[in-house]
Amino acid sequence: MAFPASFRQSVSDWIFRAQVPETPPVTLGQRRIFILPSKQGYAFGGTLLLLLVASINYALSLGFVLTFTLASMAGVAMLHTWRNLAHLKLRPGRSDAVFAGETARFTVSVETPSQARFSIAMRRRDGEAVYADVIPGETTAIALPVSAAHRGLVSCGRIEVFTRYPVGLFHAWSYVDFGLALLVYPRPDAMAGTPPAQSKSYHEEGIPVPGDEEFNMLRAYRAGDPPRQIAWKALAREQGLLTKEFSAMASSELWLDWEDARGADVEARLSVLCHWVLQAEGYGQSFGLRLPGTEIQPARGEAHRNRCLEALALFEAPR
Amino acid sequence: MILRLPFAKARSPRATEVGSPQLDVRNVLWLLAAMVFVVGPHLLRLPDWVGIFFMAVVAWRAWISWYALRAPPRLLMWAITLAAVVGVFVAFGRIVGREGGVTLLILMASLKLLEMRNQRDVILSIYLGFFLVMTNFLFSQSIPLGLYMLACVWIFVATLVGFNRVGRATLGERMRPAAALLVQALPLMAAFFILFPRTTGPLWALPTDSRSGTTGLSESMSPGNIANLIKSDATAFRVHFKDGLPPYRTLYWRGPVLVDFDGATWNMRRHVSAGRTDHPRSERPVRYAVTLEPTGKNWIFGLDIPGSVPAGTTLLSDMQMRYRRPVTERMRYDMTSYVDYRFGLEANRAQLQAALQFDPERNPRTVALGRQWAAENPDPRQVLAKASILYNSGTFAYTLDPPLLERRHPFDDFLFNSKQGFCEHYAGSFTLLMRAAGVPARVVTGYMGGEVNPLNDELIVRQADAHAWSEIWIRDLGWVRIDPTASVSPLRVENGVNAALGPIGLLPSLIDADRTGLIGGIRYAWHALNSQWDEWVVGYNLDRQRQFFTSLGYPSVDWRTLGFWLMTAIIAIGAAVTIGLLVHDRPPRREASLVAWDRFCAKLAAAGLARAPHEGPIDYLLRVRASLPTAASAAEEITRRYVEARYGAGASRQELRDLARLVREFRAA
Repeated sequence: MAFPASFRQSVSDWIFRAQVPETPPVTLGQRRIFILPSKQGYAFGGTLLLLLVASINYALSLGFVLTFTLASMAGVAMLHTWRNLAHLKLRPGRSDAVFAGETARFTVSVETPSQARFSIAMRRRDGEAVYADVIPGETTAIALPVSAAHRGLVSCGRIEVFTRYPVGLFHAWSYVDFGLALLVYPRPDAMAGTPPAQSKSYHEEGIPVPGDEEFNMLRAYRAGDPPRQIAWKALAREQGLLTKEFSAMASSELWLDWEDARGADVEARLSVLCHWVLQAEGYGQSFGLRLPGTEIQPARGEAHRNRCLEALALFEAPR
Repeated sequence: MILRLPFAKARSPRATEVGSPQLDVRNVLWLLAAMVFVVGPHLLRLPDWVGIFFMAVVAWRAWISWYALRAPPRLLMWAITLAAVVGVFVAFGRIVGREGGVTLLILMASLKLLEMRNQRDVILSIYLGFFLVMTNFLFSQSIPLGLYMLACVWIFVATLVGFNRVGRATLGERMRPAAALLVQALPLMAAFFILFPRTTGPLWALPTDSRSGTTGLSESMSPGNIANLIKSDATAFRVHFKDGLPPYRTLYWRGPVLVDFDGATWNMRRHVSAGRTDHPRSERPVRYAVTLEPTGKNWIFGLDIPGSVPAGTTLLSDMQMRYRRPVTERMRYDMTSYVDYRFGLEANRAQLQAALQFDPERNPRTVALGRQWAAENPDPRQVLAKASILYNSGTFAYTLDPPLLERRHPFDDFLFNSKQGFCEHYAGSFTLLMRAAGVPARVVTGYMGGEVNPLNDELIVRQADAHAWSEIWIRDLGWVRIDPTASVSPLRVENGVNAALGPIGLLPSLIDADRTGLIGGIRYAWHALNSQWDEWVVGYNLDRQRQFFTSLGYPSVDWRTLGFWLMTAIIAIGAAVTIGLLVHDRPPRREASLVAWDRFCAKLAAAGLARAPHEGPIDYLLRVRASLPTAASAAEEITRRYVEARYGAGASRQELRDLARLVREFRAA
């Protein structure tokens, strides 16, 4: 068809009444499953026509039997294809954030309330189809890959759930949109080195290497302290769980600053910052992040790291 | 320079979608097996080289798939294709006839298998397979072949299922869905078969060899050719008598009448005037229906002599029946005959003249004997008596394997030397003797007798019942049937060919099989089944369709009525199958408490307080209580009962009903 893709898309959206997002679980009811012959199905129809003409012409009764058996088989196959999809229960699964350049996966879990379903496929618009069998009593997770080239928020969009089982003559499909989205962090710039020292007590070389700093004091253990800072000897002496504090860390307020990140463009600078965030988190360093218009107070831990990475992912350069 | 084999090992796993249906080795092997199954019956009837070629190509393809080799290069494929076409042309002289066309289709299908690269090629091959199923029916439409082809279709559908599966499927996972599809398709297929409007003839002219079944009598007879026919157990036609079977000795089924004679071979006359059926009648006619197998010839068979002929048939003056076109498909006709008859009293001079022609140069001793009889007594009855003495002298023997006769004077050789022969020897020599004696005589070929199937009282006439006899013309009597074979072997005429040849006969075992006892019973049952099959399945044509609906009380159905019924049947059967599937797929009944709970949640959701997927009943209740203080107590009661029923001690029917009632009465607003 010669319609522009956008026009076809809007017609398709109108026909298939996309309501976004839907509340899980979504059950593929009878009214939201569509079915049409596949390309193979049309070819099969042509074959049947030829067989019928041959049967008539050669007055082959068994030819008629063959033709009608195949035609009826196709009719029954339509029902089977439809029922292979009907009443499936879909739930959105985990969709983890990734770094740009990696492959992200939107996961949708599928359950069947009745018989086993074979060759259930899902695909995003313009995406590759992923196939799986769904066995009763088990939850099958289908991960839709999406290559995350650029940082930002990637939304999954409408997912087409389809099947052609058992004989491929019909294409039964349904659309589901959970409004799934995931974050793509900037690609960490491994060549970025270490953040420049900006606090007075900070070494010139940058991020401290364990053992380099002066041991300062012991303090009570707080949840989230890296294991390597725990005073194991003190623990062995039954003095309780104590954390060693180093002077550099105790006093330093490591700020990862937009202004310090050198790069050709915004993305390059974000990549540098991303690398620094990961590095700082890796060393258990408490750090803060300063971006134009955003400032995240120093802290540490997984949640903090993710908050910083999210800020980097969603950063929009001021004009 | 290093020459590399064009398809040396090159493991190049094609880039396929992860987990998607693919050109898996097992799937390809399934397809190859299906192809071998469907082509199998053809390979038995086609020249050996076709089978060798086909199996070699299939094996090659299997090898390529198994070791994941590259497909043969395009140039080689072209060369093989060309060779195949040339082979067909050389073997069959053309590429359009039945054998030639089928051979070409088989070879092309095998080459398609060889170059199969993607899913589309696979599908094409499978559809080609369905065509190959169809081509088998050009050769035979018997029950065994039908069942075999059904199995082939099953395998093909199973192959299709395999190609539509993710990864690998077991034998059962292929065969079971395929069987389910076919079994559920059967009612619809039956409706289509019965109701689909049939047409009267082919859409376009067919090549004459398009159908099987051209064994049978021919336009000429020379010593030996009926004897070959008689070794065939194939059915010539079946007869259903409307008023019971006439006496066995009257069952002479008249076929080609041979008048022209060259000394060895008897031939049909090219032009015979039309005949009449208004010959003197002495009794009630025998009424019967004949189901004739295709012969590829114009003539049809009837008992001597026809009273009324079927539509589209001309009766000739020698009582042959000619159909308007060659019988290329099974044909059923109703007719009547008079077995106690008298005809041809006023035969015209030309006809009688033709029945006296012979070449006196050939078979001189036979001619001399006939002339001698006539000289002794010109009365045809006396001549006949002399002939009777000759054939009953006890020196003649009835055998299917007579010695080869001398070419120029075969009947001299037979009458005076070998004295061993079959019906055509007796009929031929007798007719010649009569002509030499001045009695108009001709040879009639056809069938004698038949076998009655006790299960359905049908008479089966086989090629083995082929027979030849004589007719002589006597003033005041007209044409009289004389069967010289009856003199030699009365059993042949009384009881059929098997009895005549006895248990130590020279017939192949297929004829002298046991016709009594258990084996005989099974044989008869099988024949009865075949007869029904031929009549109602293979022979289901326009006439049969009309007949069927007439018997149901709808005498004149046209295609519109049929179409309407067909649509109705499709809808009804489709609905039945759909409902069957839905009932089968119905998920297990959910607990009543869960149903009530879902309804409760739906009511709250409508009030803008939807339960989050992760929210348990208690947490939800806390939220509901905070947001909807007015409904708090009712919600609390419902939640308590639900939790008790589902996670606690369970609930009685009454308690579940109460819960349902509470939910029903619950108002969120």
